[in-house]
Amino acid sequence: MRGLPANFLLGAVLVSVVVGIAALSLIWTPHDPQTMSISTKFAPPSMEHWLGTDQLGRDVVAQLMAAARNSMTVALVAVLLGGSIGVALGLLASALGGWVEDGVMRLADLGFAFPALLFAIMLAAVFGPSLTNAVMAISFINIPIFARVTRASANQIWTRDYVAAARAAGRGRFAISRDHILPNIAAAIIVQATIEFAVAILAEAALSYLGLGAQPPASSWGRMLSEAQTLMYFAPQLAIYPGLCIVTAVLGFGLLGDGLRDITDPRLVRAR
Amino acid sequence: MIELTNLSAHFGEAAALRDANLVIERGDRLGIVGESGSGKTLLALCLMGMAPDSARLTGRLSIDGQDMASATERDWQRLRSRRVAMVFQEPMAALNPLRRVGDTVMEPMLLHDGLTRRAARARALSLFEEVGIPDPDQRLRQFPHEMSGGQRQRVLIALALACNPMLLIADEPTTALDANVALRITDLLQRLAQEREMALIFISHDLAAVARATQDIVVMYAGDMVERGPTAEVLSAPVHPYTKGLLGARPDAAVAGRDANGKRRRLPTIPGSVPPLHGLPEGCRFAGRCPVELPQCATQRPVFTQTDVGRGAACHLLTEAHHD
Amino acid sequence: MAYFLFRRTLGFVLTLLAVSLVVFAVMNVLPGDPALTILGMDASDDALAALRDQLGLNEPIVARYLSWVWNALQGDFGLSHSFRVPVAELIAERLPMTISLAVAGMLVTLVLALSLGITAAAQHRRAGDWGVMFLSQLGIAVPAFWLSILLVMLFAVKLRWLPPGGFAGWSDPVAAIRSLILPTVALALVQSAVLARVTRSSALEVMRQDFVRTARASGLSRRRVLWRHVLPNALVPIVTIVGMQFAALVTGTIVIENVFYLPGLGRLIFQSIANRDLPTVQALVMLFAAIVVTANFVVDLLYVVIDPRLKARA
Repeated sequence: MRGLPANFLLGAVLVSVVVGIAALSLIWTPHDPQTMSISTKFAPPSMEHWLGTDQLGRDVVAQLMAAARNSMTVALVAVLLGGSIGVALGLLASALGGWVEDGVMRLADLGFAFPALLFAIMLAAVFGPSLTNAVMAISFINIPIFARVTRASANQIWTRDYVAAARAAGRGRFAISRDHILPNIAAAIIVQATIEFAVAILAEAALSYLGLGAQPPASSWGRMLSEAQTLMYFAPQLAIYPGLCIVTAVLGFGLLGDGLRDITDPRLVRAR
Repeated sequence: MIELTNLSAHFGEAAALRDANLVIERGDRLGIVGESGSGKTLLALCLMGMAPDSARLTGRLSIDGQDMASATERDWQRLRSRRVAMVFQEPMAALNPLRRVGDTVMEPMLLHDGLTRRAARARALSLFEEVGIPDPDQRLRQFPHEMSGGQRQRVLIALALACNPMLLIADEPTTALDANVALRITDLLQRLAQEREMALIFISHDLAAVARATQDIVVMYAGDMVERGPTAEVLSAPVHPYTKGLLGARPDAAVAGRDANGKRRRLPTIPGSVPPLHGLPEGCRFAGRCPVELPQCATQRPVFTQTDVGRGAACHLLTEAHHD
Repeated sequence: MAYFLFRRTLGFVLTLLAVSLVVFAVMNVLPGDPALTILGMDASDDALAALRDQLGLNEPIVARYLSWVWNALQGDFGLSHSFRVPVAELIAERLPMTISLAVAGMLVTLVLALSLGITAAAQHRRAGDWGVMFLSQLGIAVPAFWLSILLVMLFAVKLRWLPPGGFAGWSDPVAAIRSLILPTVALALVQSAVLARVTRSSALEVMRQDFVRTARASGLSRRRVLWRHVLPNALVPIVTIVGMQFAALVTGTIVIENVFYLPGLGRLIFQSIANRDLPTVQALVMLFAAIVVTANFVVDLLYVVIDPRLKARA
């Protein structure tokens, strides 16, 4: 524990809290997040409602927990989906080189021209806003990111001696990619994935805030903030809690990713 | 005139430099030799006020009579380039890649000496000629990446001379260069020192280069000055066992071929390696690697003993000899 | 050099083309029947057929794409379904707002991020450095729209110094600027976080290099070394990041306009989505994507201009 960098530890703590709460929400929340009770709207914090209730009498804590669950799910799916495709493309580009590599990198450049928001906007205009569209959009932007990181890291491994030895022994490029390249770039990919997780949480929140993500009655921190904005004058506290949750989650994953990078950075490893 | 009296540099408990004593006047050409870790570079940095922040300095350093113990960074900035200047080891990355070399050389002149651009350019031009850069007018406008290593080293020397310093320190100026170029740079430095009546400190582990360029020499080991004297004398008749070992280890000094039994002669080396700062032995720091082992070597630190004017070494052998 | 320019420009044009293909494909190949969307479920088949004809929906897809591109190059983006005016007009109306916000945001970001980053590097391992690192980590984690809401709650609701949103028009410059202060600050704070970190690490990298030691040995002051030698060299990778930041700038501007109800292109997009006004959305998405691509292209060129080593290789 002592040797681990501070940002990794702090990040791990924050992430555990957020993920723990999200997981907990699957089986238990203090109240049902959807239950409305107009008579008890805007209630202040109490034993009954730990953080009070919102404009429709719904328990704030329950909503936050359900939103945490949604946020984590979206981020997980987006990063896994976009990440696997991206890594596959990156490995392909690195292994085959030549015009395949050029082509994949051109495609990646194309992907970079579309921020997640623009993509989500297109999908929303065409299919109507939905959480699925948001997930699709966030997955899409992960593809070029992972493709680029994978290709760059993989390219370095291909030049190593044991890979040259494997090639000389007649091993196919697919086998080499699977057995030699992938394990060696795994650390870099995991670091990237953690950071992209943080990015995905932010993206989902932004999209939901704009109405392009989770639709009612599903809970989302972003949407809670959007609703709270119209109620700024009556219930400012409602605008604070969801924001804090977002910051905690994003900060947690960001620090974790940074910490992981510090731990696995070959330059620093040698120095230790 | 620069005077060092018992200058020591400590990093925490470890002394990376111990009791360095030096007097440098205009026209002196001093060589400092030793392995890496001997403290020679640290000594040079102290003379520039560029020792690492974590180093704790004790002893006395005075430049032109001014005691530098209480000198601020500002004070040092006024001295750098104008009184003391330094040329570092690696010329490849030592010049700002975004600037033309002429501008880099002119910068201290414009700042320190308050020259106009025209005057600065003229001086830069003559400096380039002085250091032997062909086509100086053209070269002034070039970027570092357009020059070879040897040329960049010359530019760095020109830069060091920009404000006519009293002392030029060259730290391993030839290490990164190939033999031919190294020779020319060495001769250049010697010539510059003579023509400008400038003091030169030539730091190197290349004994041949030091032999060419310097009048006096100081041999350093693990932070201590172990032997000093006129270059010719020290190199031909060394007193300290370490110096002897260094001289014996030169490839050209070693006798090639086979010995009486037909076995190939091996290059004599000093056994072992320089211990890290915190693992230095008590007493004489060379103990353990020294072919001579007197009982006091392990426990007592040898005092620097003068055998002649400007000649001496720090070794128990000398004190033994005196006691006889 | 000329060859390099040619290759880059070609790449740029091709990327723009590819982007237009993607935008057109997503928005025209996938959806259902635009005529149905416009006229509603109860429209008669004849009316639908007539509208489809009018909108040119019966033409082959390639022809529609080409005519869209051709028209777009001349500034004609079609007619807005909901506003019943040419899309180009809508864009022209709202462009100044968006550009003002984006430019102001970028300028403040650059000033803030560069100075914070360089200062942090100069204070390496001391209080200033940790402070900047922590703040920037926080800045990255804070969503721009939440920061905006907090700023509004503080400055508009509580203190009543600045308006909570909206824009009265350019006729009153003071009011106009007041309306832009909070949006610009929100945009800049979030963007600076990333840029400050990059500046810091780039500066630290540069400070490790030999020529910094040479500069110091020449008797230059620490400040001069930092700003005249370290910063210009640190800019080289920073410029790349700034280019990549344009995507974030575009996203940020769209979000901020919506948070503060500013009548710019960002608001227009969302109004168009709500109105199912596909031509407008299509034009705007294309415009924004083109801006991102162009920014990256310009950065590529800038890179070569700044660093003489790259110019030599070009």
